[in-house]
Amino acid sequence: MNATIKRVMTFLWTILCASVVLHSSSTAQTSRGADIAVVVNADTPVADLSLSDVRKVLLGERQYWNSKLPVVLLIRAPAARERDVVLRVIYQMSEAQFKQYWVAKIFRAEAAAPPRIVYSNDMQFELLTALPGAIAFVDSRNIRPGTKVLRVDGHLPGEKGYPLR
Amino acid sequence: MRLRVPVLAMMLFVVCSARAQSPPPPDQTEQIRILLERVQQLEKRVADLETKPAAAAESPVNVAAARKPEAAPPPGPVQGHQHETAETQASVGQMEVHYPSLQIRGFGDVNFSATDQKGTNSGFNLGQLDLHLASALSRKVTYFGELTFNAQPTGYTVEVERSIIRYDYNDFFKLSFGRYHTPIGYWNTAFHHGAWLQTTISRPDMVRIGGSFIPVHFVGFLAEGNIPSGGAGLSYNVGVGNGRGSIISRPGDAGDNNSNRAWVANLYSRPVKLYGLQMGISVYRDKITLPIVTATGNEFREWISAAHIVWTKENPEFLAEFANVNHKNILTNAITNNQAYYVQVGYRLPWFEKSLKPYYRFEHTHTPLSEQLFTNQNLVGSTLGLRYDITNYASFKAEYRNTKRLPTDPRVNGAFFQTDFTF
Repeated sequence: MNATIKRVMTFLWTILCASVVLHSSSTAQTSRGADIAVVVNADTPVADLSLSDVRKVLLGERQYWNSKLPVVLLIRAPAARERDVVLRVIYQMSEAQFKQYWVAKIFRAEAAAPPRIVYSNDMQFELLTALPGAIAFVDSRNIRPGTKVLRVDGHLPGEKGYPLR
Repeated sequence: MRLRVPVLAMMLFVVCSARAQSPPPPDQTEQIRILLERVQQLEKRVADLETKPAAAAESPVNVAAARKPEAAPPPGPVQGHQHETAETQASVGQMEVHYPSLQIRGFGDVNFSATDQKGTNSGFNLGQLDLHLASALSRKVTYFGELTFNAQPTGYTVEVERSIIRYDYNDFFKLSFGRYHTPIGYWNTAFHHGAWLQTTISRPDMVRIGGSFIPVHFVGFLAEGNIPSGGAGLSYNVGVGNGRGSIISRPGDAGDNNSNRAWVANLYSRPVKLYGLQMGISVYRDKITLPIVTATGNEFREWISAAHIVWTKENPEFLAEFANVNHKNILTNAITNNQAYYVQVGYRLPWFEKSLKPYYRFEHTHTPLSEQLFTNQNLVGSTLGLRYDITNYASFKAEYRNTKRLPTDPRVNGAFFQTDFTF
């Protein structure tokens, strides 16, 4: 009986150790790099958002900047660091959960389309300047003129307390 | 020594299987990241090149090259970038929304069930094949539709589950017309007909497809939106429609069977500081007219009041919903109250790429003996199961259910298996 308990305990301990090792290696990959700026089309009538407002926009709960200007969500393709930070800090979801969230959101008739996927900074800035109401998440080292960087919780990228890093 | 060998084998199995489930190894992810950084550096370099004076482009070397196109060197960085810019512009053109922009998504499931209930057979069955349509007709007008194909003993039936056209004024006011899932409680509007969307195989009995405890569908109009409420994160749905038809499990699709409209109001909160939490209350009012007149009449007033609280994150997932259905006979003034609730808990395990999610649900439905509209809906049931997400868009589920209807009925035990998917 004691031997059985010992085996079970060893088994559980092994699973625990393995999960801790795997989890720590996966989180270590996303903990470096510059801040991620929240960038909008220059004509968007907003300059400062709280992190919860940014979350509402990304969750599709806020779909209009005002009654004439819909939000156009742009998100980098998988494996981009900008996407990792958005998923980890704002959505608090895994890649799978993010995909499932948007399938369900459209299925519930709460949104007509998922965020648009962009594959490079060039494409991202082209869309930001071309599409009124566009919002994107950009590595703060790659900001370009012609767009507007939003304060998040009152902070700009690089400032102490900026949440998207 | 005897203990160490199996333990080492187990360790090897756990680590190997966990590694085998990982999608790209960390090295590969790192390589992708390095490549992306490299792309960004190149984009920056190209942008620098573009900012050089235009005169440089008219340098003697370039003019000479232009005069001899047949001898032109292979594309350099600038030409390559021009090509890239053209591609980007083409992509931008493609990403501009064209109206109407129809998107179709399908859901399906295949099931196996076996129970110890007398008179039932074990076996496979094809679940609903569900097609969902969403089409933006303009920046502010959108159409949503849902069609199901249902296997029957003699063939298939097709049902229009939802057909909605919605006009968005802004986030605070959106008006739509059509056939909805009635916004009473949580489940009925969160999961609809795609089994893949829900954690479990079955829906709770109170919102069962084809059930009558709450009116699952509603034909009419609905106003919805957010309420400016700061951190409370309030939203609403208010609707007016035909209500229950002559068959009370169905709405009056082809027209109401009395001149009284049903109405529904749903208020819910998603508090900003508790991301993942939703709680809400709903009320529904209707007049029901049955096709057959009896000594006690055929008209009833119905009041439904419901409340829900859910935690939608998966560590843990928690869903709880309660509804009271009040019926009043207009002729005799006899009143009955029926209650139903369920509590469901699930937890996404951290292992195997978070693909496993065990869950448990307890549900209880009570209809009094004096109930005038519902036939017996009593139920006490437990559901214990495991969901395994094979991919992002398909899952396997296995469920054990233990249910009991009337006090005199025996308990029924059943094993249920399902694979469901979206495509």
